[in-house]
Amino acid sequence: MNQPLRRLAAALFVAFALLILDVTYLQVIAGPRYRDDDRNPRVVASRTGKERGLILSSDEQVLAQSTADPDNPQRFNRSYPEGELYAHLVGFSSLNFGDEALELVYADDLRSKRDLTVSDLLSALLGGDLRPKSIQLTIDHALQQVAFTALGDQPGSVVAIRPHTGEVLAMVSRPSYDPNLFLGSEAIEVRQDLLVDPAEPLANRSTNRTYPPGSTFKVVVTAAAIESGAAGPDTLFPDPLELELPGTTEVIRNFDEQVCGNGSEVTLQTAFRRSCNTVFASLGLELGADVLSLQAEAFGFNQEIPFEIPVLTSVFPPPSAFANDLPALAQSAIGQRDVRATPLEMALVASAIANDGIIMEPTLVSRIFDPDGRVVSLNEPELLQRAVSPSTAAVISDLMERVVASGTGTRATVPNVRVAGKTGTAETGVGPPHVWFIGFAPVEQPTIALAVLVESGGEAGENATGGSVAAPIAQEILAYWVQSNG
Amino acid sequence: MTRNAEAALLVGAAAVAAFGVALVNLARGDGIDAQVALTFVVMLTSFGGFHLAVRQWSPEASPFLLPLAAIITAVGFVEVYRLDQGRASLQRWWLLIAALLAVALLFTVRQTGLAPLRRYRYVLLLAGLLLLLLPLLPTDWAFPLRGFEQNGSRLWIRLEIGPLRLQFQPGEIAKLILAAFLASYLSERQAVLAAHTRPLGRYRLPELRQLAPLVIAWAASFVVLVYQRDLGASLLLFALFIAMLYAATGRAVYLASGGVLFGAGAVIAWSSLSHVQRRVTAWLDPFADFIDTGYQIAQSLFAFGSGSLSGSGLGLGAPDRIPNATTDFIFAAVGEELGLAGSVGIIATFGLLVAVGFGISLRSRDTFRKLLAGGLAFVLGLQTFLILAGVMRLLPLTGITLPFMSYGGSSLVANFLLLALLARISHEERA
Repeated sequence: MNQPLRRLAAALFVAFALLILDVTYLQVIAGPRYRDDDRNPRVVASRTGKERGLILSSDEQVLAQSTADPDNPQRFNRSYPEGELYAHLVGFSSLNFGDEALELVYADDLRSKRDLTVSDLLSALLGGDLRPKSIQLTIDHALQQVAFTALGDQPGSVVAIRPHTGEVLAMVSRPSYDPNLFLGSEAIEVRQDLLVDPAEPLANRSTNRTYPPGSTFKVVVTAAAIESGAAGPDTLFPDPLELELPGTTEVIRNFDEQVCGNGSEVTLQTAFRRSCNTVFASLGLELGADVLSLQAEAFGFNQEIPFEIPVLTSVFPPPSAFANDLPALAQSAIGQRDVRATPLEMALVASAIANDGIIMEPTLVSRIFDPDGRVVSLNEPELLQRAVSPSTAAVISDLMERVVASGTGTRATVPNVRVAGKTGTAETGVGPPHVWFIGFAPVEQPTIALAVLVESGGEAGENATGGSVAAPIAQEILAYWVQSNG
Repeated sequence: MTRNAEAALLVGAAAVAAFGVALVNLARGDGIDAQVALTFVVMLTSFGGFHLAVRQWSPEASPFLLPLAAIITAVGFVEVYRLDQGRASLQRWWLLIAALLAVALLFTVRQTGLAPLRRYRYVLLLAGLLLLLLPLLPTDWAFPLRGFEQNGSRLWIRLEIGPLRLQFQPGEIAKLILAAFLASYLSERQAVLAAHTRPLGRYRLPELRQLAPLVIAWAASFVVLVYQRDLGASLLLFALFIAMLYAATGRAVYLASGGVLFGAGAVIAWSSLSHVQRRVTAWLDPFADFIDTGYQIAQSLFAFGSGSLSGSGLGLGAPDRIPNATTDFIFAAVGEELGLAGSVGIIATFGLLVAVGFGISLRSRDTFRKLLAGGLAFVLGLQTFLILAGVMRLLPLTGITLPFMSYGGSSLVANFLLLALLARISHEERA
């Protein structure tokens, strides 16, 4: 009877040996694969649930915070008290979808480094600080609110910059979304709904969408004319009812389908003030593709703009594109055809004029500090590039001031404040125009430069113009800013 | 090994449990509290009491049984404590109750030995079958003893008298009782069952009517499988039956026909029972249906993988992510927090315990005791293997408890009684 018992025992021991082989396979050989699997809750938890630093506005408003979970003090819950106001800037740190925007870019500073990874341990041995750092933005919370409210429910963007430092004071994109929803239990459904929403609430229109700049691009063309010596504010141009495009039967008309001045001749100054397409189209043809292209690039077109969050490059087509297509050049000179700009880029154009021709590198983060309040890293203003000479900037500044004083941009007028600006109404070929206003104030010593874009005319629809829709929004923002920073 | 060495090892195991609880507390950020002392006292009381009873009434018993079981119990308790403190304090009560029942068993048989088990075998058979079928009692009748369903299996009975509410899985005890019946039945019929008289070509087969009990066992396990939807218990009972029949007769034909019956049963179960299909699907590829059927196994694999060689440390892993971590999947928690070192250690300790059981069986001269010890050792080993293989995706998951480790009173009581029986057998053989 012992023989079968021994066999049974032997069978069980073979089975136990298999268990040991299997557990060795699971824990050592296949171990890393299971350990690092994206669906492993430990992997997910290592990304979330940890304490992260604060994100503050320049005026110390809390934009992102970690609070201890009431049920489990070792876990932290991330929240965004300002919700959709900062969604595209701050982003989120989500269990399901990882990090986004500043939460992603500054993840290494924001996260607690007490993960006991080898590099963290080394860093600790070398005296590194494992605690989460906080970051402070250049955004002025009050201004951000004003801009957000001024834009209202219209799809579009506002970008406001302090011209002499490049600090972004406000950056609004609408429609927006509540990043807190990405942290909740409904995150997967919420994201799906947002992804298929035709209004594209997830898109950061300030930096990640480009639009034809329309007449705001005339600032660039005027700069090219003055810098090249081809024209000045008082240079006279023919004033036809319509400009025939070379080699075609197509014509360019002014917005109101009228002549610009008296019908015979008109100064550049008047043409700029009244935003006459005929004059700028012929000026563009006169300057040529090379000059326009160089000037556009001096303002930041076709260049990667260094910024904390990704920026889509604004485009002015290469000169070769116009070699056999002068009508395209004429249309590009009025900011149509294939010229494309982000609202950030157009804000930089305005800031260049405001800052004696110099573009400062735009920045969103002013400093990084540790939990004791000690500054770990400070973002000093840096020069990006010179767009135009100080004298050219001064001339264009004067032209822009006239636009607001008695031109297309009168609705941006702020009592007792010298405001400079340029409107734009960009035809899209389909649907209502995208309308723009770029400008700065106060002219004598600008503290703010901005670009306002309202997509597809906003609530005004087909009848929208930069002067009627975008300028009033800019007016509210500039008025608030100058008043509170008088 | 002496009794005193055994006692020292038991103190060591109690210290391991207390130390583990202290580590869990520290990992949690709490201080060392009364839980540590309480765990030490309860472990010492239950295993110490068991030990004293063995000294008193079965002094010749093998000294290896208790220390091996105690160290497994200690590690299991620490993981239960780490996962669910409420369950851990219940588990402490169950430890005391289980030890008390084991002591009571040793006390009861101190004069008679295990002879009554042998004598009243049909009472045992009846009791065993009754216990097996008890969960099929209606859930809503007036009688305070009711069956009920949990996690899709109907394995439980609940006794409700006023505020008192006791839940129990009678199948765990039925396993032991049926092993005792089989040992008694087979030790008597051994000769007849082994005498193969019916010729078939070169082979000789047993008379057909001798196979009847085998078919009955097969049918009984199938009833358990279909009506109680308990894959594990069903398989365990059937395998126990076949193994003991084989041990008693030495006839491989029983193994072969058992294998055929098992195969047939498995195919029928797989093709017609959805809960069996789900288990097989999850086993073949847990990640194919990660959200639903594969979730639990996948979480188990994540835990083992995350544990790696040395584990996350007690209280520092995330085994709470595995559904049923305190019961069926307790070993995945060990794998995560104690790593390969801990998981291999536990498997090896189970192996040793099973080996001690088989050793007792092999050294027994009396057929009944030999078969009973062999059957108990086998069922302990097989149950351990089945649940571990399920948790590690070596086999499809069969929802049974891991002896001495899983949370649950029925399982602890049954396995403590199993220890007491083995201790008694080894005493009787040496005395």
